[in-house]
Amino acid sequence: MRNILRGRLAAPAALLAVVAVIGLTAFWPSDGARAATNGPAPAPISAVVPTSTTLPTLVSPTTTPTTIGSYTTPGVTAQAYATANNPHSGITYQVPPDSFIAPGQALFDANCSSCHGSQAEGSARAPNLRGLGAGTVDFWVSTGRMPLADSSVQATRKPPKFNTLQTLEIATFVQSLTPNQGLGIPLVNLSNADLENGNSLFTLNCAACHTITGAGDALAGGAYAPSLHLATTTQIVEAMRSGPGNMPHFSQGNITDPEARDIAAYVHGVIQHPSNPGGFGLGGIGPVGEGFVGLLLGVGILMLVAFWIGERS
Amino acid sequence: MIDTTLNWVDDRLGIAKGGRTFLDKIFPDHWSFMLGEIALYSFVVLLGTGVFLSLYYIPSAHEIIYHGSYLPLRGQKVSEAYASSVGLSFDVKSGLLMRQAHHWAADIFLGSIAVHMARVFFTGAFRKPREFNWIVGVTMLILGIVNGFLGYSLPDDLVSGTGIRIAFSIVESIPVVGSYLGFFLFGGNYPGNGDIIPRFFLLHILIVPALIAGLLGAHLGLLVKQKHTQFPGKGKTEHNVVGSPMFPTFMAKTTGFLFMVTGAIFLLGGFAQINPIWQFGQYEPYQISYAVQPDWYMGWLDGALRIMPSWEWVGWGHTLPLEVFLPAVIFPGLIFNIFIVWPFIESHKTKDRAYHNLLDRPRDRPMRTAAGAAMLTLLFTVFCASSTDVLANFFQIELNYVLWFFRIAVIAFPIIAYFVTYKICQEMRHAEGVGKRKRASVVLRSDRGEYTTVASEPRPGDGHEELEAMPVPVSIDLVPPELATGAGVRRVLR
Amino acid sequence: MSAAQRKDPSVTPVSLSDPHLQPLAKHPERVQVLASLAMVVGTLGFVGFAIAYWVGNQSQWLAATFGVGLLGLGAGVIAWGKYLMAQGPFVEERHDFHSTDEERSALAAAITERGGLEVKRRKVLGGLFALGSGIMAVVLLFPLVRSLGPKPGRTLFETNWRKGSKLVAVDGREVTVDDLVVGGVLTVFPEGYIGSSPDQTILIRLADQAPDEHYPLQPPGNPSWTAGGYVAYSKMCTHLGCPVGLYQEQTQQLVCPCHQSIFNVASGAIPEFGPAPRPLPQLPITVDLDGYLRATGGFNQAVGPGFWERP
Repeated sequence: MRNILRGRLAAPAALLAVVAVIGLTAFWPSDGARAATNGPAPAPISAVVPTSTTLPTLVSPTTTPTTIGSYTTPGVTAQAYATANNPHSGITYQVPPDSFIAPGQALFDANCSSCHGSQAEGSARAPNLRGLGAGTVDFWVSTGRMPLADSSVQATRKPPKFNTLQTLEIATFVQSLTPNQGLGIPLVNLSNADLENGNSLFTLNCAACHTITGAGDALAGGAYAPSLHLATTTQIVEAMRSGPGNMPHFSQGNITDPEARDIAAYVHGVIQHPSNPGGFGLGGIGPVGEGFVGLLLGVGILMLVAFWIGERS
Repeated sequence: MIDTTLNWVDDRLGIAKGGRTFLDKIFPDHWSFMLGEIALYSFVVLLGTGVFLSLYYIPSAHEIIYHGSYLPLRGQKVSEAYASSVGLSFDVKSGLLMRQAHHWAADIFLGSIAVHMARVFFTGAFRKPREFNWIVGVTMLILGIVNGFLGYSLPDDLVSGTGIRIAFSIVESIPVVGSYLGFFLFGGNYPGNGDIIPRFFLLHILIVPALIAGLLGAHLGLLVKQKHTQFPGKGKTEHNVVGSPMFPTFMAKTTGFLFMVTGAIFLLGGFAQINPIWQFGQYEPYQISYAVQPDWYMGWLDGALRIMPSWEWVGWGHTLPLEVFLPAVIFPGLIFNIFIVWPFIESHKTKDRAYHNLLDRPRDRPMRTAAGAAMLTLLFTVFCASSTDVLANFFQIELNYVLWFFRIAVIAFPIIAYFVTYKICQEMRHAEGVGKRKRASVVLRSDRGEYTTVASEPRPGDGHEELEAMPVPVSIDLVPPELATGAGVRRVLR
Repeated sequence: MSAAQRKDPSVTPVSLSDPHLQPLAKHPERVQVLASLAMVVGTLGFVGFAIAYWVGNQSQWLAATFGVGLLGLGAGVIAWGKYLMAQGPFVEERHDFHSTDEERSALAAAITERGGLEVKRRKVLGGLFALGSGIMAVVLLFPLVRSLGPKPGRTLFETNWRKGSKLVAVDGREVTVDDLVVGGVLTVFPEGYIGSSPDQTILIRLADQAPDEHYPLQPPGNPSWTAGGYVAYSKMCTHLGCPVGLYQEQTQQLVCPCHQSIFNVASGAIPEFGPAPRPLPQLPITVDLDGYLRATGGFNQAVGPGFWERP
């Protein structure tokens, strides 16, 4: 301490402080620049819809998370996705019951019609929502992208304004405007998901925009592919099928429902819970982060050791 | 006992005189002279961990079904190279630690060469008679970069495989012989017949390390013969070296440093994940991930490739892809050649043909220091340019703007750096007491209200005497002085 | 000292009390305690490493123990060397290692006179040997370089796309006209050549058109090479060969993830930005009577990055 106070070690102490700060920021768990906290997780549909309706209960998969700081041996298994009751495999597309339409219309009038029009027909400011289906609307609203204040930049995921029930009501209303058109709400059953197939499909179809670790990256013209770390399995399938923004439309002729389920299982089980047995993940941004850590932390600390060993004048 | 062994060996090898000279070698103590040792010891770690890895890695592009313990890959068709690399990470005891330590050691190896080279450059240690050693060093830098690229390409994963594709295209872009060279190296049109993996392996574990090891021997041998340089100071002249003797002092410190370097590398290897290839998957030439950059020491080439405008020359039935050839072949060629011939450029410009064993303070050579700063700025800017997409995403700026920023920065920043550094050097040379520890001034007020300042008392420990350097003792009288008696009398203690 | 040195009165041993031989530390005993502590911790670290190794395969435990072991021993011996050993400083003289002028001219003479004498006497032999060795050096390159691989020939100009090749997806599925909706994108290969790098093609649906309709691509795109609203381009970037897998549906742009070249799909994949020099070659496609997508020919130019022989 005396040496530091005397200033003899001021320079190396400062360097050490800089190195420590950089080391901490490198190791701080990060979720990509745009992954805003999403608030409390939305309740599963089954919690708000009485089970006496035709909606089967939504799967809440159990997973083996690997959090930073816990160094368990990686083992994300397909068997981990056990469910309570699941007569189907793959995905079923559902629409909530008609009782949702009226409250949905009220919410829509109050929050959406100023841009989208009272019949969702669109305006100069906002697109026509007719024919897009409940699933599409559910994606935009449940990820908080809608309502959107400034449509000149790409909408960002943010804490949703509406709870799950309200979101479904709005979606049902929009769906009711064009009853048999558009995407239903995909209910994803992961119990027979093939993780390896999901891995292959993700790499081929998704990694080019979202990166192989699902971190997201900038696209042309100010657009960006968002991080996948907060998406639910429903939102993943909704995005694939409805192609929001610049995302391509992956229809069933391109990616079948079982394949979509496999991709959702891979994103949920592996992308969102990556296997990091090697230590801190350094944000998953690859060699750039590794280079900074190697140079500043590795070479930096060793230079400090050399500073200790050798003379200074 | 030492005497008998020594006699036995010396009878056969005659090593006593040379051995004594060697053990008496003086190493100057300045901390910045130890940066090359970081490189040396990380090379040692590379060799050790590399041997371990080569016992498990299978250098083959032959496809098999993965059956290891990383479940998202199970059942996938992968190359043996990829499967064995993932196997090392999950199924071999201490395999992941060794793999990651090896990779970190490579990053640190090249990083420490960079700082060591900067130290040698800015202090002018490359001047006569050490030009050979400088060239040997630059060659080792080039070989190190090449070997790093070869090494991280061995696991045949999606990220490094993309780099191999780019390497093929760069070779292809060479005029006249490019496509031939590419086909020869890869055994056919990309991706070739699979021979590229075992060829990279052979280069990476045998040919290039052997070259580096040989050059390293020359590097150290020249250092021993020409003796190390030193900073000017009390008792230090062009004709001596002042410091610690090789044995035992320097050996103790440097052995300790070896342990510290190894320890730091292994701690990084265990706690900071690097190159998690299982997350990337097997390389397929029709698959790609976004936000892919090469390892940092190749980043400057990637950056150059990104910012280069798309000037392709087409004429008389031929194409010269300048947008590839210039940034990926000419640019690094120019940079490395500038490095290599710099000692001769400088001696020609300064007309200085004298021996130099004393080092310069960087501020005393403002042109050299400014030129070095400009070069470092250029390389750093081009390195940052390899992350245009990550930067655009992080700062939420359009890709176009980020790219244009770097196109301009790569020219403007080095020029600015040159002039700023030059000015700083000038000012530092003319300022009094720059870099020395300041002593407080005590302000005294006289009776008449006059203020004067007096230097304060020196702090304890500031005023220690520096000893005059003495030659390494031929022999030391191990009897404590208070017990010494005349010759022939032995004092016995009971 | 050796026995001989003890007999030699001119070598005065340096006394132990000489300040150069004293340790640097003011309190060497304290430093010794700290250094010993470090070494003990280090040794325990290595013991811990042995235990961690036998117990399991946790990278973090292995690294922590091994690292602590190394750092402990290292710090201890550094402290010994820096603070507890003779502080010096010691000096050695540099001796000129360059030879005298006489020695240099002697060497030069050996080469030019002795060697020159023999070579002048036998000029023919000297010349022949030089010529033969030179040719040998060149010829030795042949097995080293040429045997490595085949000559490129026309390979870079050809792919496996032929008239009538069905477009198939990576899993082998033959692509039909209903498979993609507007804004859909798919990686395809000619039937029988799945995974073949030069054949990789990206198929995009720009519009919902009848199978015999053509999409109005802007030049250099060829509208007659589209069908049913589908357009196909080589997936290999013309910059450095990376797969151009990133499609922006709203702006109808293909972006290469490697160096962010941007290609305008509706205008023949012409590069609008970034380092790519040429548009992606377009594959002419049609919809056959059963609804399958087929190529009506190969690419009309070499795919991928530029090279010398490309006209």
